[in-house]
Amino acid sequence: MDRAEVVHLNFLEKLSTNDLPKRLSTVSLAQSGLSKSKLMEIFESQILSRQLDRTSRKMQARGEGFYTIGSSGHEGNAAISAAFRVDDMAFLHYRDAAFFIQRSKLLSGQTPTWDMLLSFSASADDPISGGRHKVLGSKALFIPPQTSTIASHLPKAVGAAYSIGLSRRHRPDNMQMRHDSVVLASFGDASANHSTSQGAFNSACWSAYQNIPMPLVFICEDNGIGISTKTPGGWIEAGFSQRPALNYMRCNGLDILDTYKVAREAEYQVRKHRKPIFLHMNCVRLYGHAGSDVQTAYISRQEVEAAEANDPLLHSANIVISEGILTADEVLNLYQKIGERVERVAIEAALRPKLVSAAQVMAAIIPPKLAPMKKCGIEDAQREKLFASDWKALQKPAHTARLISWAITDLMAEHQNIILAGEDIGPKGGVYNVTGKVHARFVSDRVINTLLDEQSILGLAIGLAHNGFLPIPEIQFLAYLHNADDQLRGEAATLSFFSDGQYTNPMIIRIAGLGYQKGFGGHFHNDNSIAVLRDIPGLIIACPSNGADAVLMLRECVRLALEEQRIIVIIEPIALYMTRDLHAAEDGLWLAQYPHPQPATDPGEAGGISLGQIGQYQQGTDLAIVSYGNGYYLSRQAEKILADTHNINIRVIDLRWLAPINEELLLSAVNECENILVVDECRETGSQSEALISLFAQKAEHRGKKPKLASITALDSFIPLGKAATVTLPSCDSIVAAALALLNSSDREL
Amino acid sequence: MQQKKALVVCPGRGTYNKNELGYLQRWHSDKGPLLAQIDAYRESCSQPTISELDAADKYSMSKHTRGDNASALVYACAYADFLSIDLSKFEVQAITGNSLGWYVALGCASALSEQNALHVINTMGTFMHQHLQGGQIIYPLVDQEWREIAGRKEMIQQVLAQVNQQADCALYISINLGGFVVFAGNDAALKALTSLLPIEQERFPMRLFNHSAFHSPLLQSISEMGRDILPSSIFQQAPVPMIDGRGHIWQPLSTDVRALWDYTLGEQVVETYDFSKAIQVAVKEFAPDQIIILGPGTTLGGAVAQSLIAINWQGLSCKQDFIRRQQSAEPLILSMGMEEQRALVVSN
Repeated sequence: MDRAEVVHLNFLEKLSTNDLPKRLSTVSLAQSGLSKSKLMEIFESQILSRQLDRTSRKMQARGEGFYTIGSSGHEGNAAISAAFRVDDMAFLHYRDAAFFIQRSKLLSGQTPTWDMLLSFSASADDPISGGRHKVLGSKALFIPPQTSTIASHLPKAVGAAYSIGLSRRHRPDNMQMRHDSVVLASFGDASANHSTSQGAFNSACWSAYQNIPMPLVFICEDNGIGISTKTPGGWIEAGFSQRPALNYMRCNGLDILDTYKVAREAEYQVRKHRKPIFLHMNCVRLYGHAGSDVQTAYISRQEVEAAEANDPLLHSANIVISEGILTADEVLNLYQKIGERVERVAIEAALRPKLVSAAQVMAAIIPPKLAPMKKCGIEDAQREKLFASDWKALQKPAHTARLISWAITDLMAEHQNIILAGEDIGPKGGVYNVTGKVHARFVSDRVINTLLDEQSILGLAIGLAHNGFLPIPEIQFLAYLHNADDQLRGEAATLSFFSDGQYTNPMIIRIAGLGYQKGFGGHFHNDNSIAVLRDIPGLIIACPSNGADAVLMLRECVRLALEEQRIIVIIEPIALYMTRDLHAAEDGLWLAQYPHPQPATDPGEAGGISLGQIGQYQQGTDLAIVSYGNGYYLSRQAEKILADTHNINIRVIDLRWLAPINEELLLSAVNECENILVVDECRETGSQSEALISLFAQKAEHRGKKPKLASITALDSFIPLGKAATVTLPSCDSIVAAALALLNSSDREL
Repeated sequence: MQQKKALVVCPGRGTYNKNELGYLQRWHSDKGPLLAQIDAYRESCSQPTISELDAADKYSMSKHTRGDNASALVYACAYADFLSIDLSKFEVQAITGNSLGWYVALGCASALSEQNALHVINTMGTFMHQHLQGGQIIYPLVDQEWREIAGRKEMIQQVLAQVNQQADCALYISINLGGFVVFAGNDAALKALTSLLPIEQERFPMRLFNHSAFHSPLLQSISEMGRDILPSSIFQQAPVPMIDGRGHIWQPLSTDVRALWDYTLGEQVVETYDFSKAIQVAVKEFAPDQIIILGPGTTLGGAVAQSLIAINWQGLSCKQDFIRRQQSAEPLILSMGMEEQRALVVSN
């Protein structure tokens, strides 16, 4: 028999025969701090959660439901929920339906039964995800949705907790949490082993250890098993009871009086002291991992039955009966009434509309636009003070690193919501001094020197954005993004999608990257693949090739984040940070004058660079070279050689924005050219060139005919050290050669 | 026969009108002891009895719509209707109400005993009459097909802000009443509001006669008087769930009676009453087979239907859909103020 049915019948039988499990704690109702009505409210939440689990399985059997991972056995978390406020942001474990239901009782007008059943049936009416996933979430209840299957929500919980302290000093315009709010993050015992969650624990402790406020409760729901792998006995306690600056507390999740008592103490401690707490709640897992899981394939029947005998609903029933609140018959009646009600609502919920088109599914990938931001430029007198010794230098041409630094300074002065975060970006100014002096110009909590953990950096950014800040995190090198990619791919980029655009986390991730560093080399500092970014739906990728563009694009990135709630990655070519010359030593052609922030450089106006806007050098029609970053720089060198030596008139297109590509603009920029050469400094496989060649092959036209196409890319190799560092990459010479080859193969006479 | 699960909706104060004169005589001659009890209470307060009011030769606006009379009259009719529901046909799953209907709901659900429900309603109604302040104006949010008028809600908010900018004006949203919004305000605000709202359907904006600025902070003193005179000890847990004017569900076993008292005489009196939300929460969380609207009157059916149309409940998207559904073999709403539908609710 299905174990869900076994547990159900077990509940009925044990209530009928008054064969209830012994209390597991000595905490009385009075000691717990609960009133009778509140105790009953929690018990009702537990029963509703259980009946929803049962109904989800029936819905699946009827072909009306699509997700059966349930909360049965974990219902004690309703008592934790009851101890906190509705505006204590909660990043929940997928087994926390009872927590969710209990929280919904803090806010009138909530319909958790209906909402969860819509979620089970993937209805477009599901108020949190719009039918995109079965997630626990609610904007009104401060529960951002996540699948939480790999505890990848913990870094952002740390970030959100950090943001509360920060908001006391710098109140963001769109602050979401109150100054005395706390953050909750729940997860399973098995997920506690993920390196992502370990990084989050470490970051929380690292911060709290140095007295940085961290009002955060980690709730570990320990059912002793992760899918089929048992957690070693005592492992969680051994691993978390001795961590620096982490207050370990334990409750018995099978006993709601004990759980509430401990949770209330945790709530008091964390709100008062703002130090992280690890709340270890033991519980059981009923029905196996998910609907299709047969537990007895990997654990004994005795173990299964032992867990079932400890059904938290039986324990709660015992409490309400022994406290004289209900009789066993009344408990049964309550259980059955709630079950009937859920079944009835499920029938209605299953009839609600579903997502049927790609357009509907994708509507929430890009968040909704907000009202245009107010332009509140900073007066020059104020800027002069801010820039201090750099003020005069602002009038002279400068290299890209310095220009970016100045752009960040102006943007931070104008937008108090902006927070920088990254490794060594503080007084050192970053590895390449791009944030040099920025730290000195602003207080240190707006330029945060983080610990060395990219997951924590992106988690911090996501959490800050949940509280209305505009984070600009920095990843020191492109290769370091990869250990944290899921924070971007699985968390930040999916937030709008899973919340139907209700939750957003706009940010600008600055990443120093790509190859060509002189006299250096080495894969980790010259990574030249951005394939891992290109396939993330909704993500904007910017890659400026020169300082002036970098400034204008950064300004557009800030506008995109503030007005359109977008997530942007800006790849800054390291090799071009300090580049001064283009064709010859001391020509200074790669330096630029810092564009004044007001008013001509606003996007869309003369001098600005709006999303998708390409750059173009020269109007030649023999050939169009399409490139970006270092490739554009090298193509500019090649252009001169082709013109001077070979009398070939070309145009060089700088994509600037790698995603999304403005196809219309790009096709119009090349349509006068019979030949198109794509120059891509990234590794061939998965490179931008593949998409570009595909685009041109399908859509480009030159006088009614298809243009001739060629591409030159980096080879599928990692970058070596020393002089060999550039041998796998396109060079000026190889671009010239490729251009000549393309033109020679055409009808054109040279 | 299997019982149908029913949501019961209790009517508000403006539902005993000219056509309802004689309602108690017509439908509740079998409830002599109940009516006698109510009459005795009224006499003890030196107020006209409800039997007397119901049996009057003529309907008198000034008399029948007065707060101290209308409240008890509506309660008597509605509660008597509730007692007339054929429980072999219907199982009451949850009870809600509109405005004064919340007090009636407390009575029907037994959160207040018969006597205490009457006491609360009559007391609050009398206070309202004695301290009549400002009034209410009703205005449509939907067109004649009961479809939302684009931009109307935004316009309402703008007008609200505009009126409140004027000196001596205090205007609030009193009730979200399905396809209508009811404003509450002082006289200056209502005058300003009337001049700003475009005329709709030749009769809106419409001032509700003899109504105070219910569900607004202007009734703070009424709330305080109610708290002073009506103790929390007269409230009790109800055996049936109730949904209040915030859409909050009061479950039988987990109701904190002190909180119920606090809401009923506090927030409920001085904050917006969201009847639309109450109906929407009720159908979503209880999925009733039937919605029974107690009499007197027939006006609440539209507001209930409009609340359902707003969430596309069971595919209802406009007035025509609703009419079709009502004309089908399984009408969704049974209004006891309508003779034909009443017959489907009461025992034969």
